Amino acid sequence: MIQDGEIQNRMIRNGIVIDDTFAEAFPMKATRILITAHNMTWARHAAVSATGFATSVIACGCEAGIERELSPEETPDGRPGIAILLFAMSGKELAKQIERRMGQCVLTCPTTAMYAGIPVSPQPPEGALAGLGRPGAGPGEAVALGKNLRFFGDGWQNSKLIDGLRFWRVPVMDGEFVAQETTAITQAVGGGNLLLLARDTDSALAAAEAAVLAMRRVPNVVMPFPGGVVRSGSKVGSKYPALMASTNEAFCPTLYGIVPKTQLTAETACVMEIVIDGLTEADVSAAMRAGLDAGIALGAGSGLLRISAGNYGGKLGPFHFHLHQLMGVAS
Amino acid sequence: MSITLRLRTPPGLRLDLRSVLPTLLSGLDAAAIEKLPLGLGRGTVPLAEYFDVSRQGDDAMLVLQGDLSRCDRIGWQMSGGDLLVEGTVGDWAGASMTAGHLHVQGAARDLAGCEMAGGELRVDGNVGNFAASAQPGSMDGMRGGVFTVRGSVGQRFADRMRRGTVFVHGDAGDFFASRLVAGTIAIAGRIGAHPGYGMRRGSLVFVGPAPALPDTTVPAIVGTPVIWQLLARSLQRQGGAFSGLAQRAVQRHLGDLAVGGRGEWLLAN
Repeated sequence: MIQDGEIQNRMIRNGIVIDDTFAEAFPMKATRILITAHNMTWARHAAVSATGFATSVIACGCEAGIERELSPEETPDGRPGIAILLFAMSGKELAKQIERRMGQCVLTCPTTAMYAGIPVSPQPPEGALAGLGRPGAGPGEAVALGKNLRFFGDGWQNSKLIDGLRFWRVPVMDGEFVAQETTAITQAVGGGNLLLLARDTDSALAAAEAAVLAMRRVPNVVMPFPGGVVRSGSKVGSKYPALMASTNEAFCPTLYGIVPKTQLTAETACVMEIVIDGLTEADVSAAMRAGLDAGIALGAGSGLLRISAGNYGGKLGPFHFHLHQLMGVAS
Repeated sequence: MSITLRLRTPPGLRLDLRSVLPTLLSGLDAAAIEKLPLGLGRGTVPLAEYFDVSRQGDDAMLVLQGDLSRCDRIGWQMSGGDLLVEGTVGDWAGASMTAGHLHVQGAARDLAGCEMAGGELRVDGNVGNFAASAQPGSMDGMRGGVFTVRGSVGQRFADRMRRGTVFVHGDAGDFFASRLVAGTIAIAGRIGAHPGYGMRRGSLVFVGPAPALPDTTVPAIVGTPVIWQLLARSLQRQGGAFSGLAQRAVQRHLGDLAVGGRGEWLLAN
């Protein structure tokens, strides 16, 4: 049994080694959109659809996910809803993704309405409409939400200006689709991550699921990969010039013993990664800490051996999340 | 913390106060304010002829005191600041204002809030005819902002109104919201003859007695509960008869069919 403590930069918690390394993250643009519907089932259908195929900006255009469910008391129209977060590398790309995804996945979904989840200027009066703007991000730059989708109304659309905010009303077959005119985009942080190194597939999945469950309780973050987990951790570049990313062979257990610089030990048979996008650096830190705590709580007996993080040497991303610092120990 | 102008005696002729604005007076000392020319009938008089001027602290608010019922164009084209009138005012109060807050603690005569485009106008008493409407010869009435009347309003209220939000806590005269182009009007009291005559778009919200619906309206076969909740939650902050509006059932009617029928009547029972 390995004793907990810090020995020559090795941190051990509950028998699990916490690597002396850091996750490297990048600035992104983000927005939050509140989707409401007649009931939670349809709100979820819309949210799942709108955040589908949004695991990585490498090929999806944006990274997106469900932040959390909203009770009727938390939404502007008093119906159940879901808050989703969308992240992209530029405001222009994010605006494009918002229009496409909201147009094809929310406008089309029965009974839905959608609102900005980050305040746009001018901000509504205090308490005017519940849910519009939540802690974690200040007012951002306005981009179209329902502003262009309104033209689906073919001239039958109209709008209401309520508390300084414009809402478009588009006639559709189940009544009318209501969409706030704009949402706000704000600076964000994308690419926080944890690597969970385990004895086998079962223990790696169990650790990843526990960590994701804990991270989902942290506000202002999403884990955009399937189930919040990615098994194809990547490095920058490839031997093939056309590829901007390729498999990270240092963490591939099938290549143990044949790659020159493996990060694994002989007992590590499975590695899972959790990628975190958040509205602020503090949000990503909080999510990573929650994931670390959840993994540590499982203990070495669970088969989780080490927790590490991915980076590119610190030269690409300005946000560095050192695991030991997250655990409260100065590096 | 204000500039206070107290009217000593009501003028014999109509007194034009269009130049008495908080943003204009904030940069002037008391002596300069006293020399401001005011329109009186066909001529002008210095402000000190009718008003006592006092300053206290900074100039955050302009206060007018006295019986100002013969004083017109108070808050005319107001573009910012706070103006409080402790009394009754004449015609054109808050007309063409674009920003700021104008609060009349008494009544206002005709054309109050006429063509206002922004800011907040509040009248605690009654207002006369053609309030929130268009100036003679103009195509559009009120174009933005929030206009609250705690009392009742006269005839042709919000004629040709195009944008903005209006609350009427009392009753309204004939031709209420005639030729309405757009915007939202919520009323708690009774209304006179020919309401919504020729209205093209916009929303009329009745939270008190249900009005007699004109023959040129039709009932909507489905409600619009989402936008109603957004609207009602905002309107109910007015309090009084508007309280609890979001919990009330609402009937929706469409009209005036004579001009396209795209306006809506929301009857909250």
